[in-house]
Amino acid sequence: MALQTEYLVTALENIEPMARERKADGWRFVQMMAVNTEDGIDLIYSFMKDGVLQNNKIEHVRKDDAVPSISGEFLEAFVFENEVHDLFGVDIRDIAIDFGGNFYALAQPEPMTVISPAQKAAREKARAAAIAKAERAQKAAAANAAYVADHPGAKAKRAGGVIVPSDDGVEEKLKGMDPEKVARVRAAMAAKAKRAAAEQEARKQAELEEKLAGMDPEKAAKVRAAMEAKKARAGADAKEGE
Amino acid sequence: MGKATVIPFGPQHPVLPEPLHLDLVVEDEKVLEAIPQIGFVHRGLEKLVETRDYNQFIYVAERICGICAFGHSMGYAETVERLMGVQIPPRAEVLRAIWHELSRIHSHVLWMGLAADAFGFESLFMHCWRLRERVLDVFEKTTGGRVIFSVVKVGGVVRDIDEGQFAEMKRVLEGIKSDYRQICNAFLKDASVKNRTVGVGYLSREDALELSMVGPFARASNVNNDARMLRNGGYAYLEGFEPILDDQGDCYARVKVRALEVLQSIDIIEELISKVPQGEIAVPVKGSPADGAESSNVVEQPRGECYYYARGNGTKFLDRMRMRTPTSQNLAGMVKALEGCDLADVNMIVLTIDPCISCTER
Repeated sequence: MALQTEYLVTALENIEPMARERKADGWRFVQMMAVNTEDGIDLIYSFMKDGVLQNNKIEHVRKDDAVPSISGEFLEAFVFENEVHDLFGVDIRDIAIDFGGNFYALAQPEPMTVISPAQKAAREKARAAAIAKAERAQKAAAANAAYVADHPGAKAKRAGGVIVPSDDGVEEKLKGMDPEKVARVRAAMAAKAKRAAAEQEARKQAELEEKLAGMDPEKAAKVRAAMEAKKARAGADAKEGE
Repeated sequence: MGKATVIPFGPQHPVLPEPLHLDLVVEDEKVLEAIPQIGFVHRGLEKLVETRDYNQFIYVAERICGICAFGHSMGYAETVERLMGVQIPPRAEVLRAIWHELSRIHSHVLWMGLAADAFGFESLFMHCWRLRERVLDVFEKTTGGRVIFSVVKVGGVVRDIDEGQFAEMKRVLEGIKSDYRQICNAFLKDASVKNRTVGVGYLSREDALELSMVGPFARASNVNNDARMLRNGGYAYLEGFEPILDDQGDCYARVKVRALEVLQSIDIIEELISKVPQGEIAVPVKGSPADGAESSNVVEQPRGECYYYARGNGTKFLDRMRMRTPTSQNLAGMVKALEGCDLADVNMIVLTIDPCISCTER
């Protein structure tokens, strides 16, 4: 019997019926907790039966919402309900043993709802990174679609978000052509490939600059220095090779 | 018939190693009602998850409690591994289970010493703690620490145990077993122990079920909710597992369950040593938990089932880490067991739930 976990979403007004139902069905109360989010407080009630750990979530509870206590059904919940009241400021009504906000001796009220600067910065960074990633994916998809539209017969594949034209069949076509024309076609193809490579390089550079702009300036300077050193090493190696 | 009086018990009391307060409503020498209060040493460790990344937080989780230290680091690591979809090597799972069972032995023997001290059997207290030192020696040899081990990491464990250390561990456990049987004999047969524990602090199976009790406190009332039955991690390698149960529901039954669990843990360790798989002890864990990802888990700590919950936010910092410890779950049962007891038995009953306030006030 391995542990199975379930996550269900329930409405605030269903807390009491849910507790009654779980009690009648023989579920064991495991815990109740809160999670502070930007949209309010999520309450999670956990029950267990036959190796199934069920987490029932009530999302975005506001501080002025009256939350009914389940300690009438599960007396042991009084500890957690007092805890959630003191640490998160959730208004839980009719707790069987209600300490009236004096369950924990705290230096400041509702300490778990305070979003620390470190947490705020981490959240903003994650959000910006997710947006940038989505934008990059969208741009790559648009470029791909445009290329396929412009070159209906061409086979194209994506490599690092950039479309690389396939040369399947080109060599076959060139075989039967005038050598002077072949040379011109080859030169045009080489120029196109060079342009694509330059565009790709420029895009990479822009992405890097964007990343560096979002970084701590000291760290960004270190990264730039490391990149310069790498470039210099690569240049030196190339000269030696010559 | 006397007049009801409220007697404060704790938070500073000779029998309490940690601060727990009870308002005892007594009439003559009978306790009519007990109202518990905690909250004197709340540390806000769960809040620290916002400023420690998921690898660093394991050291905070481990410091929740000095007795369940290993269990908390293991429970935390397992929950984060579930969150990130990491499968750790089989050898690491078994090593974790071995250390966890050693923690159970050390916790139970420590508690038995405290119980002996509470009912005035000083020499038994000293024998228990002498034996516990040998378990701590095993920890020191295999992890480098005696209380805080820092041997678990997200993705596995940081230290391996070689064949020589396993042989030494088995030799020490065999030695402990024979000495421990003598201690057990005193606990389970001595008249002075029985006088203080038999029939005291009775909790029926129905009440234990009704109040969702966990751990040895529940098992002494014949409620089987041992999380090891789920056979998670290293416990899956056991041939079979049957929790120690008793149907007496009194303080004596709680002593008995813990006393027998020590021997059971030694058997589990010996079986796991014979089945340790070869191979790696950790896998590299890269990346961050996805935004909004959730995971939950239960681990059978020495004092009972502990619940863990983690939520990711797309960064290396978790949005929320929650540990529901067995003592907070058992407070309601303790209140029930105290109803109708003699005032002189309060300390014994409180001790037999093995309250851990540092776990409860994370």
